[in-house]
Amino acid sequence: MFWRLLWKLLRGSSGRLVVAILALVSGAMVISALLNLEFDIERKLTQEFRMLGANLVISPGHDAQINGAAPAALMNESEAFAAIQSLKDPAVVAAAPFLYIVERAGDTPVVVAGTKLEELPELEPAWRIEGQWTTPSRENQIPCIVGRNVVRQLHLALGSTLLLSYLGKTTQATLVGIVDAGGAEDNQVFMGLAEVQRLAGLPGQIGLAQLSVRGTAKNISEYAARLAAALPSYEVRPIRQVTEAEGDLLNRIRLLIGSMVVLILALTALCVLATMAALAMERRQDVGLMKALGGSIARIVALFMAEVGVLGAAGGFVGAILGIELSRWMGQRVFGTAISLRWEIFPLTIALMVAVALAGALPLRLLGKVKPAVIFRGE
Amino acid sequence: MATLVQVENLRKEFGNVCALAGVSFRVEAGEWIAIMGPSGSGKTTLINILGGLDMPTSGQAIVDAIDVGRLDESGLTRFRAQKIGFIFQQFHLVPYLTALENVMLAQYFHSTTDEKEAREALERVGLGDRIEHLPGKLSGGEQQRVAVARALINHPKLILADEPTGNLDEANEETVIQLFHELHREGHTILMVTHAPSIGRLADRRIAFAHGRLVEVPASLKTSL
Repeated sequence: MFWRLLWKLLRGSSGRLVVAILALVSGAMVISALLNLEFDIERKLTQEFRMLGANLVISPGHDAQINGAAPAALMNESEAFAAIQSLKDPAVVAAAPFLYIVERAGDTPVVVAGTKLEELPELEPAWRIEGQWTTPSRENQIPCIVGRNVVRQLHLALGSTLLLSYLGKTTQATLVGIVDAGGAEDNQVFMGLAEVQRLAGLPGQIGLAQLSVRGTAKNISEYAARLAAALPSYEVRPIRQVTEAEGDLLNRIRLLIGSMVVLILALTALCVLATMAALAMERRQDVGLMKALGGSIARIVALFMAEVGVLGAAGGFVGAILGIELSRWMGQRVFGTAISLRWEIFPLTIALMVAVALAGALPLRLLGKVKPAVIFRGE
Repeated sequence: MATLVQVENLRKEFGNVCALAGVSFRVEAGEWIAIMGPSGSGKTTLINILGGLDMPTSGQAIVDAIDVGRLDESGLTRFRAQKIGFIFQQFHLVPYLTALENVMLAQYFHSTTDEKEAREALERVGLGDRIEHLPGKLSGGEQQRVAVARALINHPKLILADEPTGNLDEANEETVIQLFHELHREGHTILMVTHAPSIGRLADRRIAFAHGRLVEVPASLKTSL
């Protein structure tokens, strides 16, 4: 009979309850969208900030020495990468060594970076490339990618051969890709590290290593500390502008989302409160009758609270579905990709809406004080 | 016959207004009592106190050995559910519940619901074909018969009827009065407030009120038909 009464109560006041359920659905929709965004924002921001390129640099320390020689601006490649390998951190998306020398292309000096070309797509995802990042080395062919300014200056094109010389040594590289990075890289040539080391006469040595590490600013700092402990003679430092901006932005977005969720919960509760106050006035007669028939206050109020709870749950469920869609749309608009669906949003939104509905149903609790004789007297 | 209702020096005041000014009387089990008197004489106040809907200012209202004035809120709730069957002039049916559900509502607040028993109660008052109708789809007489079925469903010790035919036309009044005759024959104790001398004469006894006091029953009402 309880469920039968509940159903009839819902149907009997459907006109008024539509207002409450609309408020609950609207509130739940925005809240679930914001919560879904909040739960996924760290991953999305991390992804976005990884687009900015490397966020960790290993460079020679001020007192670094190689083979006991004088302080140098170089590092031992195998030592640095052995340390990276030994930490086995899956958060490391890409790691590339760099050795910079200034070679000559004809009479023109160009900065040549020796690196692992195959790491560049992951390390610098924001670079635009025309052609390819690299090609499998064929006999007597060394692939290189060239910054767009160098291509323009030297009148090169994809497939061109670039003749480079350094201290009497020469090499001939084939242009496989033209890079547009929007920065200093547009003035550089990138080719295999081993070839640059051969030209420079610095086998096994690098100028620095750049890493792209996934995670929050805190995660990156923690990883940097562990790597620094493994490489005491080198300097390991996060690129602060990137990591701090990420952390700061994340905190601001979380504060904004949290404030909005609280505000929307309060507004939804107020809307439910107004509807329920009107409903309580309408129900006084019914409650007076129920009490006259022997209905206890607890039983009568429980019936009305259950009605409100059902409304909250229904509003929360429908709103959560709409909110997930809204967050997907927002993800597309803000980040260009869909926000992942988080199933925990459903129970969380429903629980929040039930709580808000019950809080807004305070006037119905006052029905417990209705005196049947007063109601029947028409007062 | 055992005494079912004992009222001793019962007073009820609403601020400065005295609705009942020291009323005393007894009702034996199985009696049909007509409570009569002009508007504002205290009839409904008496019914409300006996039914546990209102509390006396002083005096005693004892129903089935329970002093209603001494009950707390939960005691009053139990008392109303277990001892009293109300029938109101305005019917007071829940508008969004069917006739059947209105009867089952009383069962629900009493103990557990029994749909079969509720159907039988409605069939007994001649509404077997109106069971699934909402009150708005029933005539006044039919609504009052639903109220009678609801009042009887929990087998109350005392039926309190406040102007049960006040809102009915002659034909429906006749039907409802016929139901009260049947209830009386079955041994139910009935206290019925009425303005109508013709209905008052049907009762075993008549109690007349004026200004909150019992007065002598007018000679025109003394003879039962």
